[in-house]
This record gives sequence, C-alpha cells and structure tokens, in this order.
Amino acid sequence: MIAQQVLNGLVLGGVYALFALGFTLIFGIHRIMNMAHGAVFMSGAFIGLFMVRIGLPIWAALPIAMFGAGLISIFVEVIAFKPLRKLALADAELASVISSIGAGLIILSVGQYVSKTQTMRFPFGTVPIDAIVVLGLRVTMLQLLMLGVAVLMVALLAYYLYRTPQGRQIRAVAGNYRAAQLLGVNPNAIFYQTFFLSGALAGAAGVMVGLAFNAVQFLMGEPFLLKAFVAIILGGLGSVPGALIGGLVLGLLQSLSGAYLPALLVDAVIFLLLFVILMVRPDGLFAQSMTESPTKRV
Amino acid sequence: MMSFITPHLPLLDLIFIGTGYALSQAIVFRAGTFSVATSGFAALGAYAAAILTVKHGLHPAVAVGLGTLLGLLCGLLLSAPLARLRGVYQAIASLAFVEILVALILFFEELTGGPLGFHNIPRVVTPWILFFAMLATMALLTLLGQGGIGRAFDAMRQDPPVAASLGVNPARYHVLSFALSGAIAGLFGGLDALRNFSLTAEQFGFSILIGTLSAVVLGGRRAVLGPLVGTTILVLLPEIFRPLADYRQAVYGLLLVVVMAFLPFGVYDTIVMKLHNRRLARAGMLAPKVPKAMT
Repeated sequence: MIAQQVLNGLVLGGVYALFALGFTLIFGIHRIMNMAHGAVFMSGAFIGLFMVRIGLPIWAALPIAMFGAGLISIFVEVIAFKPLRKLALADAELASVISSIGAGLIILSVGQYVSKTQTMRFPFGTVPIDAIVVLGLRVTMLQLLMLGVAVLMVALLAYYLYRTPQGRQIRAVAGNYRAAQLLGVNPNAIFYQTFFLSGALAGAAGVMVGLAFNAVQFLMGEPFLLKAFVAIILGGLGSVPGALIGGLVLGLLQSLSGAYLPALLVDAVIFLLLFVILMVRPDGLFAQSMTESPTKRV
Repeated sequence: MMSFITPHLPLLDLIFIGTGYALSQAIVFRAGTFSVATSGFAALGAYAAAILTVKHGLHPAVAVGLGTLLGLLCGLLLSAPLARLRGVYQAIASLAFVEILVALILFFEELTGGPLGFHNIPRVVTPWILFFAMLATMALLTLLGQGGIGRAFDAMRQDPPVAASLGVNPARYHVLSFALSGAIAGLFGGLDALRNFSLTAEQFGFSILIGTLSAVVLGGRRAVLGPLVGTTILVLLPEIFRPLADYRQAVYGLLLVVVMAFLPFGVYDTIVMKLHNRRLARAGMLAPKVPKAMT
C-alpha cells in the first residue's frame, strides 16, 4: 500500500519537476519570477488536447504542444519582461511580477475564450489504459508515459545546459550578464532560448497533467504555480538539479500526506513546510548555483 | 447627483475597502519589504469580527477593533521571520503564510464555516464608515510618511546599509511597518466582513492578493494617493469596458502589462516624478529626464 503511494508520488513529482524546472530556469538567469508560467502550462495542455482531437497520436501531439508553449513563453518574455530590463533589479523584481501576471491573464482569457469556460477531456484511449503489475505494484501506461517523459526531458535539459556550447552561454549569462556580453554572447538570443525551453517544459507538464486528471481547463495552472513554489524553494531557487529533487519530494509528500491526513489539511502542511524551509535554509536544501555543473566539468 | 451615485454605491464600497487593503500593502513596500501578507491579515480581521459579532454577540465596533488588534499582533509575529529574508523570498514566504491561513480557515469548520463560508453576518457598515476609515488611514500614513518615520522607511528601501549607518534601526522600522500593515488590513477586513452578510476563505486567497498587489504597483507605491488611484482604476475598469465584459481578464492583463512597460513606478508616482523633474529643470537644476532608478 505504501509502496503504491510512493510510486504515485514519484509520478506526480516528475510532473511537478518539469513545471518547476521551467520556472527555476528563468529565475536562475533573469532573477525574476515568471508568474505567467502557470498560463503557459495551461496553453501546452490546450494545444496537446487539440492536436489529439484532430487525430494525431499522443507521441506527435506532445512535441507540438511543447513547441507551441515555448512560443507562447517567448511571447511572455517580449511583452512582459523585455520592456522592464532597463530598470534596476529591485524595481524590476516587483514590476515584472505585475507585468507577468498581466501577460498570464491575457493568455488565460484566450484559453477561456477557446474552451468557452468548459472543462475539456482527452478522447478515451488516447493513452492505452492497460496496466502492468510489477512486484505487486500496479503501473498504468499513463504513469509509465509520465515518468518516461519527465526523465527524458530532464536528461535533455541537463545535457543542453551542461554539455553544449549554447548551454554554456546560458550559464554564462546566468553567472554574469555583463561579462558574458563582453565575451560575445548575445543576451537577447539567450533570453529567447531560455524562455522557449522553460515554456516547452511547462507545455510537456501541461499535457501530462491534462492526461493524468483527464481535465483540461483554463484555470489549471494556478494551483500548480503555487505548489511549484514549494518544489523550487525546497531545491533552491534558480538551481536546476534542486528543482528536480524538489519536485519529486513534493510529489511524494503530497501523495503520502494525502493518504494519511484529512484532505483539507494537505495544503496547510505543504505550505507550512515551505515557510519553515525558507526560515531554516532560504537557499534551499540542495543549494547550488546554475553556473556550476553538478559534475564540475564545463 | 444622488440618482447617479446610488446605483454605483457597491463600487464605492469596493474602492474604499480595496484602497484600505492597498494602503496596508503599500506601507510594507515603502519600508522596502516585498511581503504580500495583507490578505492574510485581512482574513484574520474579517473572521475575528464576524465570529465575535455573530457567535459572541459583541458590539460590531468592538469586534472590528479586536479584529484590527489581531491583525496588528499577527503583523508583529510575521515581521520577525520575514526580516531574515529578502526580495522574492519574502514574497514567497508571505504567500505561504496566506495559503496556510486560507487552508486553516477551510479546515476549522465549526469556527469558520469551512468551505461553505460564514453567513448571517449583520450588515452594519455603511459606505460613509468605509470612506472615513479610508480617509483616516490615508491621513495617518501621510502624517507618518512626512516625518522621521517616512524618511527612515525611504532610506531602508533605497539602501539598507546606508540607512543603518545613518542611525536608522532597520529592525525597529521593519516591525513598525508590519504592525501598521497588519492593523490596517485587519481593520478593513473587519469592515469588509460586516458589510457583506457572508465570508468565504477564497475571498482572501491568491486572487485578492494579486488584486491588491496590482492596485499598489499600478497606482504607485510611494505616495499615499497611489493605492487610491490604482484601486479606482482596477474597480472602474470593468465598468468602463462593460461592452467588452467577455474580455475583461484580457483588458485587465493588458493594462498591467502596458502600465508596467511605460510607467514602471505606477501611474501616480511616475506623473509626480515627471512634474517634479520638470520643475527642477525649469529652475535649471536638472537635465529634463526621468531618473532610471527610483527605488
């Protein structure tokens, strides 16, 4: 019984990690919070759903949804963050929270218009509903898909960031914006890249969540954005490996506390944990800056 | 005149209460803290006032007073942990505080009504009471803001080490700003509760927090009039754009994006700053341009 809960928690945690990675990637580089991230996540789920509805299989719909969400994320960067880059950081911090909330609302209202405020569902059988039994645990195809996508995305992102020249440029901008510029890195290209990556990760998470709960609606991003804060702070704001671990821990925590606590108390426990971590270790439990490779090789 | 105002009275209520919340939010910003705890304090004040009036039969004025006190105490308590953090970390910690409170309100059903809400609250607060509460708060904040306290707040926001070196005790003013913020939010929360027959926990959740935050940043976070300007814009906007009611969210979002891009210090503050600079320029004291960083 408890092993089953752990498995469910890990699957959910993988999705949290995808969402949190995109958010933390932008924070690590720009030092700003992208409050429109939840809306980008929603748009990914929408695009994925529409692709499945026009008859594409899920393995084709997923990359299209990620690509679309990536473009929408670039749109957020252009309208909400680019105009504020001239400000001092302390001013930009606050102003960018508000303007990204605004950008998120614009995307939300498009979502509301497209969905006519209805909850939409994936057609039956989008993912085969068979389950396999491993060591007494029931694993559905959907869970395998979610876990597989999460692992693949994280591996790809880690490879891109830590093993390619483009990734090195991104980390250079995160470390020192001016020095990177002096060395010939084009910061605008880096900003577009990171927003695209972040949006694509959010889009993948959106499709997975849409499939897992079989409910796609325009407000689905908000609770995820709130929960993602827990995952991100747990692992250290701006840290890529931290977001991964934080997401998994959060998923486990939610699944286990959901099994043993009254449902109404789960959120209180999770947010209390967030508060306590901020008090004890504000840099997160696994603080590590994005400029360092986890394996110390550049 | 009255025939024009009467149908719009609920809007005035919303503006007065919203401005109260926004003032509570603005005071912590002014002291250089990125806390968004206002809606939590407001929830405490509102539920305290409602429970004390309905279940314990207290006079509404006393109940609101106790709600204000509860907000103040909670502000004092929260100021200590938040002083250890900075910037977005403060924002996230205070957001966690609000979410914990909302979850607890939902959980303690016998006391708060839980997910069904708290009902049958006597409606005793009139628009005039709200108006005078708002005026009094604005007057108090103006008085405080013009004296040494206001200067200490400004110094702390702009450069904490310099402020400390000039003899400003950051811890003391930090606590003061939170006590004020908590008391103001508690007061308007209590008034809000006794104006509306019923309360729900969602009323104080993420969306009201975002609304208050937007009102302050939109209007301007330095001057006392900024929150009033911001709240008025946000309350009246849906009325003005009533033909576009379906696109209200989009219009609201567009407004936030556009104002931040072109008036990043808020409508009121940016205008005041431009006028100020023009006056200086005319006196030959400054090149006519807006300073880039007015923290």
